[in-house]
Amino acid sequence: MTLAKEDLILLYRNMLLGRKIDQLVIAGMATGKVLAFYHSGQGSEGLAAGVASFLNDDDYIYCHHRGHGIVYLLSKGGSGMEFLAEHYGKANGSCNGFTGFHNADPSKGVLGAAGTIGSVFPMTLGWGLAAKKNGRAQVAVGCFGDGSSNRGTLHEAFNLSALWKLPIVWVCDNNGVAQYTPIKDAYPKEDIADLAAGYDMPGVVVDGMDVLAVQEVVQAAVERARAGDGPTLVEGKTTRYRTHSEGSPDIFHIEARPPEIVEAFKKRDPIESFAKKLIEQQVLTEADIESIDKELEETAAEMDREATEGGMPDASLMRASLYAD
Amino acid sequence: MRQLSLTGAINEALKEELQRDEKVFCIGEDIQAGTFGETSGLVQQFGPDRIMDTPLAETAVAGAAIGAAMCGYRPVADFMFADFMWIAGDEIFMKAAKWHFLHGKKVNVPVVFLAAMGGGFKLGPEHSQCPESVVMHTPGLKLVVPSTPYDAKGLMKTAIRDNNPVVYFYHKALFGLTGDVPEEEYTIPFGQADIKREGSDVTVVAIGQMVHFALQAAEKLKDKASVEVIDPRTLEPFDIDTIVESVKKTGRAVVVDEDTLRCGVTGEIASQIMEQAFDYLDAPVKRVAAANLPIAGGFLETEVLPQPQDVLAAIEAVLE
Repeated sequence: MTLAKEDLILLYRNMLLGRKIDQLVIAGMATGKVLAFYHSGQGSEGLAAGVASFLNDDDYIYCHHRGHGIVYLLSKGGSGMEFLAEHYGKANGSCNGFTGFHNADPSKGVLGAAGTIGSVFPMTLGWGLAAKKNGRAQVAVGCFGDGSSNRGTLHEAFNLSALWKLPIVWVCDNNGVAQYTPIKDAYPKEDIADLAAGYDMPGVVVDGMDVLAVQEVVQAAVERARAGDGPTLVEGKTTRYRTHSEGSPDIFHIEARPPEIVEAFKKRDPIESFAKKLIEQQVLTEADIESIDKELEETAAEMDREATEGGMPDASLMRASLYAD
Repeated sequence: MRQLSLTGAINEALKEELQRDEKVFCIGEDIQAGTFGETSGLVQQFGPDRIMDTPLAETAVAGAAIGAAMCGYRPVADFMFADFMWIAGDEIFMKAAKWHFLHGKKVNVPVVFLAAMGGGFKLGPEHSQCPESVVMHTPGLKLVVPSTPYDAKGLMKTAIRDNNPVVYFYHKALFGLTGDVPEEEYTIPFGQADIKREGSDVTVVAIGQMVHFALQAAEKLKDKASVEVIDPRTLEPFDIDTIVESVKKTGRAVVVDEDTLRCGVTGEIASQIMEQAFDYLDAPVKRVAAANLPIAGGFLETEVLPQPQDVLAAIEAVLE
């Protein structure tokens, strides 16, 4: 697929709006408006937008926990307002304010969010199995972090996805650190994508800071999956600009995380570097970039207003919500 | 009437539901052969895409079933032994049980987790448990435990058609138990206890194989006392009303289950009886359950698990 001008702009907007919403949640943590916790996704917007912007509504995706999935969710067509409202505990949240941070929009293929890391490999396998059984060339995209990759659930799901040739794209957001543990102390090799060889599926490493590079690699994996040729593992190298969760220390074990790691990545910030590229390639002008920024700032503020004005969650709905009719 | 074994009844229910609804499929380790006969013969009729053998991978079996259920399928995930379900604890207890509630009722998880439970075969602590209490304890999971072939078939058909996750435990000692199973279509609604034997002096609430221990005890005591035996059949939803009505009549209650005594199903049921029928009780409710120990293998198994004489002794004690 060759990207048209509007596709390029869409990628840019998805990343930028996602970061603005991420910043709103961080601000909401500081003021107490956000009731639970927040695991910022700043630094991996390029990977998320590159993965999810051109999927179909009926493709399934697991948005993984970094940024609580916001850029994946927006790129898949989900609601930023409902995302914020859920974090604010309001009834107009994506889960009626029942969760504090989960998202779900089955009409966009977003079937839910998990609290335990690495627990969605097996269910993604099930979505892929359903996609294959449906026979409508859908794909399931299972996103996860390098931390999740240490779970045994990965093995079971990777193995069966490859054995059964399921239409799944596995996407690892390798930001180099799981809470306080650097990847070098969790995994003996450089590339998580190397795991793919053991399952006889392609494993591809991509610069997760480069949204276009991600889009290209994921597009190929999606096409392979739709054609019935089975799963692919894509590993995007990214970073985590902020701490594991807001308010937690930024450390490797008990020492400060070396600041030069993030500084080096920030020089290649996925949003800024893509803006520069769009200007260089005369897709957009500097004035366009400024105007998009202004517009999305207002969009995010409007989402925040609507989320904030949402009603209190209805406790009386809980019993009726336990079981489906 | 036609006789079927309990596993034969489960097998027939699966066959009928596979025929009735193309969204139904079975998945698990070696289910094409069928370790206990529960799924034997189905692959010949429905093919390997609907009777899916998997390698040893319980989290993947559970996850694949839950994920497919969320996408509109009605999988039956067969774990062989109930003990093996613990391997997929996150998937069953935190995903299947909670995701409908958590996600604003936007996703349904119509999956059946099928497994054989219970002791009697000296298989030791990881192949003999009746892990009912943990399932009953977890909001969002329904729990079926049949004690007869008739119930096994009717409850399985209801379980598959339910739009929620249902754990279905059947006792190993009852695999070959035969009983009447009509050839005509029927289902059994959840939440309706069955009075397996009517009586007026004492109420015995029993589950799974313990229903048969209770019935044997009732028969032995028939010249001394009239024993009513109630089988809840589903522990969630739980039909406390039938039990309370019975206790109001008899004034005495014994609760029997093969799960561990401490925090077990018997404690929950006994509490509900005392909360709702305390003024009618002529004696404290008695419980019979497994000792608070891992289930020993070999000769020692009977020292841990409730035996027929324990049920008999408890009924006699509560009648004194």
